Amino acid sequence: MRRLFRLVMALLRELADENAYQRHLTAHGLTHSGAEWRRFSEQHLRAKYAQAKCC
Amino acid sequence: MRILRYFFWAAVAGAAGIGLGGIALHRGEHINSLWLVVAAACSYATAYRFYGKFIAARVMALNDERATPAERLRNGHDFEPTNKWIVFGHHFAAIAGPGPLVGPVLAAQFGYLPGTLWIVIGACLGGAVQDFVILFASMRRDGKSLGQMAREEIGKVGGLIALVTVLLIMIILLAVVGLVVVNALKGSPWGTFTIAATMPIAIFMGLYLRYWRPGKVLECSAMGFVLVMASIFAGRWVGQSASLAPVFTLTAMSLAIAIILYGFLASALPVWLLLAPRDYLSTFVKLGVVTMLAVGIVFVRPELQLPAFTRFTDGTGPIFAGKIFPFCFITIACGAISGFHSLISSGTTPKMIAREWHAWPVGYGSMLLESFVAIMAMIAACVLQPGVYFAVNSPAGIVGATPEAAVATISGWGFPVTVGDMAVLAHNVGEQTLFSRTGGAPSLALGMAHIFASSGGGQAVIGFWYHFAIMFEALFILTIIDAGTRVGRFMLQDLLGHVAPPLGRTSWMPGVIATSAAVVAAWGYFLVQGVRDPLGGINSLWPLFGISNQLLASIALCVATTILLKMHGAKYMWITCAPLVWLVGATFTAAWQKIFSPVPAIGFLAQADKLEAALRAGTAAGTFPAQAAAQTATQTLIFNARLDAAVCGVFMVLVAVILVDSVRVWAGILWGSRDRKLHEAPFVVSRLQAEEL
Repeated sequence: MRRLFRLVMALLRELADENAYQRHLTAHGLTHSGAEWRRFSEQHLRAKYAQAKCC
Repeated sequence: MRILRYFFWAAVAGAAGIGLGGIALHRGEHINSLWLVVAAACSYATAYRFYGKFIAARVMALNDERATPAERLRNGHDFEPTNKWIVFGHHFAAIAGPGPLVGPVLAAQFGYLPGTLWIVIGACLGGAVQDFVILFASMRRDGKSLGQMAREEIGKVGGLIALVTVLLIMIILLAVVGLVVVNALKGSPWGTFTIAATMPIAIFMGLYLRYWRPGKVLECSAMGFVLVMASIFAGRWVGQSASLAPVFTLTAMSLAIAIILYGFLASALPVWLLLAPRDYLSTFVKLGVVTMLAVGIVFVRPELQLPAFTRFTDGTGPIFAGKIFPFCFITIACGAISGFHSLISSGTTPKMIAREWHAWPVGYGSMLLESFVAIMAMIAACVLQPGVYFAVNSPAGIVGATPEAAVATISGWGFPVTVGDMAVLAHNVGEQTLFSRTGGAPSLALGMAHIFASSGGGQAVIGFWYHFAIMFEALFILTIIDAGTRVGRFMLQDLLGHVAPPLGRTSWMPGVIATSAAVVAAWGYFLVQGVRDPLGGINSLWPLFGISNQLLASIALCVATTILLKMHGAKYMWITCAPLVWLVGATFTAAWQKIFSPVPAIGFLAQADKLEAALRAGTAAGTFPAQAAAQTATQTLIFNARLDAAVCGVFMVLVAVILVDSVRVWAGILWGSRDRKLHEAPFVVSRLQAEEL
């Protein structure tokens, strides 16, 4: 049950781009800040919404 | 142990056969919805375990030793090896839109059986195969898009046609989903207020995420959800307020103009302000509602009220005209097979797959889950009394503009309904009327509200659940509209950039505004056309959308067949060729009938001729100002019918070209006159550790 909960939370964090942000911080050796989130989200969201959403 | 497995799968396959046989042969008494659930779930399990695995093991020869692009090109952004169930959820959230909900509701006019069989069989043998093979192909090609693969494997023409087809489909898709929202909200102050409230809520979420609690998306989405729920409660109060209700009671045309303006603004505004927070919210609400609906159906086990077949199998349906073949197969696209999925399967998903075998549950499995969503939508539509279902979904142009005329027509078809029944139902859900609310969304919301209210609360909460369902549908349709307009703008800029380079720059504001306006004008034109259509618009726009979507699936299956042919010769080409042949047959027949059928309710050109004949008769009768306005409106309808015929023709020509090009390539490969070179990335041994996932 705990494993399922962890999996659901991981999925929600992936859908919320929170995991992608963590990966971004880890990959570039950065720490979280408002400015860093804004930089990440601008770049990430621009790429995300350049692709079609399904019907 | 092994023998137990054999028995288990024999039992599952047997249950699938009994379930499908049961719903196919059952006549007379009402059938319980659990029959559909068991038949579908056991068919999916059997198809997944045997057919999906056969394709994975024998045809694709998936190999976990081979590094995927997520591992080889890992960059922490789009290329990232991810847990297979997370990729599954991500992929499912991306492919599941309004299509699997609306299509089955519309196709229920034939009865529950044709649509249900097509959803189950189409998904197992067509849709899941297409998604899986395209995902596999993209994964072996560093995550390349469908257009890039078409160019490499078939030729330059294929790539260009894929791009143009996608742009045209986007335009029709945005118009038709916009029309679904318009028809759900017209004359509904409660619904309109709730949807209008999601915009300031989304902007609040955008500001919250950017400035107050950066990065806290889940926390922010939870707050947004609470606010949206509060807006549903507030909507009831607004709908009953003498001063506020008129402000939020809009006509179809006013709503269409509001949606067009919204689409333009949302596509030009920064994504973090409106689009992204709304998308987060709609994704979570969508997954939650789908889960709730599944639990609700199993818990309530409602009986289906619609028969297996209705009298409209003869092609005289009020919701859309045409016989089961080919129109059932283009009305239900998402849920059975959808070309749009190939864009997702060759988009983000292949860049997240950690091991090749994960493509099996992600590619094949998530399409089966979407198909199950379509089954649930079919159940939600069929639990309504047939008279109510047709009263809600039939346009006033067919059943009559007054409630008395509508119930007389519908009861005359053998589906009894009274003005009183409809008035009580409308009152219970907090609406002024439910007659002629075409588009599928209101009847789906009624069915969902019926299931949710039967789980607890009864008639006292049915109004809340109805508006919750409308909010759920409108929320992600509006997300598709703003995201789709933005994507359409990028595509147009990409195309125009070859002619006028400044227009191709996404940072040049005049270019952004001009191309956004062009895309919005294109889908806005079709939306207004649908609103003005006396037959409700869905009759003409949904088939156009279905045809375009299925033709995109044909392109994807052409690419998939070419790849299988290059891998194995003719041995396994039937896997993608069989659904391709069926799809081309159904879609070209539908497109041909939509253009050339002599029946005005079906053929666009016959419709234009009929209107022209009426116009000539009207012109001879007199020239009063009211008549002049009516004549102008009729001329517009004639033009629109011919435009729809032309759009349909363009789709046919584009796909015929890529089909001919593909057949030329296949013949060359089979006769040995053409190179069988695959454009796969080279084999690299995977070094991914299990704990990394």
